[in-house]
Amino acid sequence: MSAFEPFEQFDEVEDIVDRLDDPDPGTRRVAVMDLADSADPSAVTYLKKALGDEAREVRLQVALALAEFDGPETADALVVAVVDEDAGVAQAAADSMAELKDPAAADPILPFVTHESAFVRAASLRALRELKRTESLKPALDAFGDVDATVRSEAISVVGYLKTEDALPALMSMLKDVEPAVRRTAAGALGFSVTTAAAEALAQSLTDSDWQVREIAAETLCKVQSTVAAPALRAALTDEYWQVRQKAIRSLGKLGVAEAVPEIIPSLDHDISNLRKEAAAALGEIEAPEAIPALEAHLDDPDPDVRKNIRWALGRIRSE
Amino acid sequence: MPLAQQSSSVPVVVDDDKCIADKGCTVCVDVCPLDVLRISDQTGKAFMKYDECWYCMPCEADCPTGAVSVHIPFLLR
Ligand code: SF4
Ligand code: SF4
Repeated sequence: MSAFEPFEQFDEVEDIVDRLDDPDPGTRRVAVMDLADSADPSAVTYLKKALGDEAREVRLQVALALAEFDGPETADALVVAVVDEDAGVAQAAADSMAELKDPAAADPILPFVTHESAFVRAASLRALRELKRTESLKPALDAFGDVDATVRSEAISVVGYLKTEDALPALMSMLKDVEPAVRRTAAGALGFSVTTAAAEALAQSLTDSDWQVREIAAETLCKVQSTVAAPALRAALTDEYWQVRQKAIRSLGKLGVAEAVPEIIPSLDHDISNLRKEAAAALGEIEAPEAIPALEAHLDDPDPDVRKNIRWALGRIRSE
Repeated sequence: MPLAQQSSSVPVVVDDDKCIADKGCTVCVDVCPLDVLRISDQTGKAFMKYDECWYCMPCEADCPTGAVSVHIPFLLR
């Protein structure tokens, strides 16, 4: 605030709004910033009007400022900014839109899920995710067939956040998408389900051609508390990527798969300390007495975190 | 606090062409926890008045026009 305003609250908004019509774009930009700071309920209305400004830096400032507001009026302004001809303004609007928390903000955004621009479609779905409105389900499922991979990924996240078992078959079908990034999102999104069907689908993804899909599938399987994937997880212990093996070990531990103990033990000797740490923790989690000699042999591991996990595991097994 | 001698030798440099302090912006001045930035009476632009800095960065991050550069000394990086 400038020192020339002794009565800050008084007339403040009117004074700022006057400056929105100043011939100088720099002054108009500062007026937008002041408007955002004013916390006045009418600010959003004026901000929306300022989106018609001819200067891109003013519109950009509006798109940034709108991140501080919420609700349907804010969303109503942001959908104007997200279709701005200037890519910087549109991107700032997309980011501000993703900050919305009020479920009522979804209403102005929903029609934009079918906008002609893929950028706008993706931005709208990204914003809808956190708003968790059931009305988003149908348009998001429709977007599973979108030509644009980013749009498909955002659509999957919307459906994953809604956590409806009804959408499971559609989500599982996205594990077969041509784009690895889409398959990764789908593998992560299935974490809310505890059904055998989801576990079976994720088990298949453990042999995906993209290792990051395999990694996420292995990780998600510990949430889908079903042991039908245990054989596939055990097979994943021979994956060429240690990252995949690490997540498989973690899930086998959390699921308490005792048959996997002899296959986990060799990882206590691996070069990567994260893998040794994970193996020690999993062996403790499974509480397998047959792992005691192997754990004892590694009590002097060079990594302190590994040693800690080994001691924890031994304590847990012996307290049986 | 020592006054900053030359603007070129202080850690925080403001690009006068980008700075819109003369239009009423005071973001960097307001955000600095050490209160070492000021708007110059002569140029109407922001500048580092006191040569002291935590390198905490909000002045650079929050400037709407990207006018502020904080130069972190090599040893601190
Ligand atoms: S924040 Fe940027 S534009 Fe504003 S006064 Fe500081 S340097 Fe100038
Ligand atoms: S880096 Fe921090 S301490 Fe230094 S001028 Fe900027 S805001 Fe002030």
